[in-house]
Amino acid sequence: MLWDILSIIQDNWLLLLIGQYPNGPLGGFAATLILSVLSIALAFPLSVLLALARMSRSPFLLWPSTALVYIARGVPLLMLILWVYFMVPVLIGANIPGFVTMLVTLVIYEAAFLSEVVRAGIMALGRGQMDAARALGHSYLGAMWYIILPQALYNMMPSILSQFVSTIKETTLGYVINVPELTFAANQINNQLLTKPFQVFFILALVYYLVCWTLSHAATVLERRIARKRAGTTSGTLPVELQPQTLTVEP
Amino acid sequence: MIRFSNVNKNYGSFQALVDINADVARSEVVVVCGPSGSGKSTLIRTINRLEEIQSGSILFDGQDVHAKMRSKELNHLRSRIGFVFQSFNLFPHLSALENVALSPVTVNGVKREVAREKALQLLDRVGLAAKAGSYPGQLSGGQQQRVAIARALAMEPPAMLFDEPTSALDPEMVGEVLAVMKALAADGMTMMCVTHEMGFAREVADRVWFMDGGRILEEADPESFFSRPQHPRAQRFLSDLRH
Ligand SMILES: Nc1ncnc2c1ncn2[C@@H]1O[C@H](COP(=O)(O)OP(=O)(O)OP(=O)(O)O)[C@@H](O)[C@H]1O
Ligand SMILES: [Mg+2]
Repeated sequence: MLWDILSIIQDNWLLLLIGQYPNGPLGGFAATLILSVLSIALAFPLSVLLALARMSRSPFLLWPSTALVYIARGVPLLMLILWVYFMVPVLIGANIPGFVTMLVTLVIYEAAFLSEVVRAGIMALGRGQMDAARALGHSYLGAMWYIILPQALYNMMPSILSQFVSTIKETTLGYVINVPELTFAANQINNQLLTKPFQVFFILALVYYLVCWTLSHAATVLERRIARKRAGTTSGTLPVELQPQTLTVEP
Repeated sequence: MIRFSNVNKNYGSFQALVDINADVARSEVVVVCGPSGSGKSTLIRTINRLEEIQSGSILFDGQDVHAKMRSKELNHLRSRIGFVFQSFNLFPHLSALENVALSPVTVNGVKREVAREKALQLLDRVGLAAKAGSYPGQLSGGQQQRVAIARALAMEPPAMLFDEPTSALDPEMVGEVLAVMKALAADGMTMMCVTHEMGFAREVADRVWFMDGGRILEEADPESFFSRPQHPRAQRFLSDLRH
């Protein structure tokens, strides 16, 4: 059993890692990772805009953004993927690669979820920060940019990391529209071997587990550190770092 | 400098300010006091339009604050009204120096180096030059409030508004903040200050306004207000305050 697993890894590690690249599209774990990172990287700024639109008083911003968030949150991801897969080619009159389909879907889906996190992060700051910023003459967007968002986003970093973990797991659904990611590669291997599904999918589970566990753990550590910093008990390094500056400041 | 004319303000069906008519002259220091819920915060927050009013007008330095205007104009107007909050509301992700220097740079377009230089002077003026690099979380309440005053002063406002600046502080820190405010008053700053610090009012205020139920019930110089309050509510308020 263990021997099977090791030999499967030995024979197929490159396929698991990068798919059929360079003879075919980049796939395997690399594709999973690229897909996840790109999704979150694109979804993040979009989620901030969505959150701002959701808090706006203008119905032209409020309604569409609210609808988008509700739809994305109320529909299974797989259905969203199939919609984009079948509808977008009809709409634009051209086929798009599975990878792009998956990316677009994930960006919309993650942005909807993250926007709720962003919104909660902004509201958690309370009214005082916005009041103080406005009283100093900052515009609404200026206050958001310089004062509200830096704090909200900093506090949200653990949530963003958690969302990244979810995204990694969600990329497996790309399998149904033939996106050559990690699960797809594992299934290819399984189809070749035919007799060792348990071993193959054990490897698959292990890889996902290790990656996701590590990141979840990092999120927890980050969360604790941020909570400590918010409580005002920053580690003693900060004042020490600042000391030279403080000394030159003395008149 | 500040003129309220027939100002009415409601929250829904609740009337928080009733027919306010009052004036603050240039370089005058006005202390506003009154029981909790009497509308002191509401009154002071209407001056820089953190709260809207339903009728009447408020002139600040000749400008009608609640007139219809572009948001750009309102922002500019607000930047000229110093405001100090009960809960400090410093920006916790910025150092004391950055708290003070941020708005001159991003709102008024002052050069970064100039703003930092000025911020240092202001921190020095409130006795905190040595804390320029500290973050709000590393400062005591009294220090935070002094940074907040420096932050408001950085916009070079012709008048400063204070909403219970010392009531969130431990007693031993009240003095340091009041000292800064006294110095400001001595420099001729126009000030409107919601506070229950009678010693401060006696020493610094030119006039005291007593509020209750959204009205200004009594206006007097501090000496006569504290020793011979006219209105029965003011008499009761002062006797409660002394116990
Ligand atoms: N956002 C709001 N919505 C509804 N009612 C409000 C709101 N803000 C204040 N009020 C009410 O308006 C009245 C005046 O409030 P305000 O905060 O101005 O009182 P205050 O004199 O500053 O009291 P305190 O000494 O407790 O600070 C209170 O009865 C309060 O309940
Ligand atoms: Mg109040």
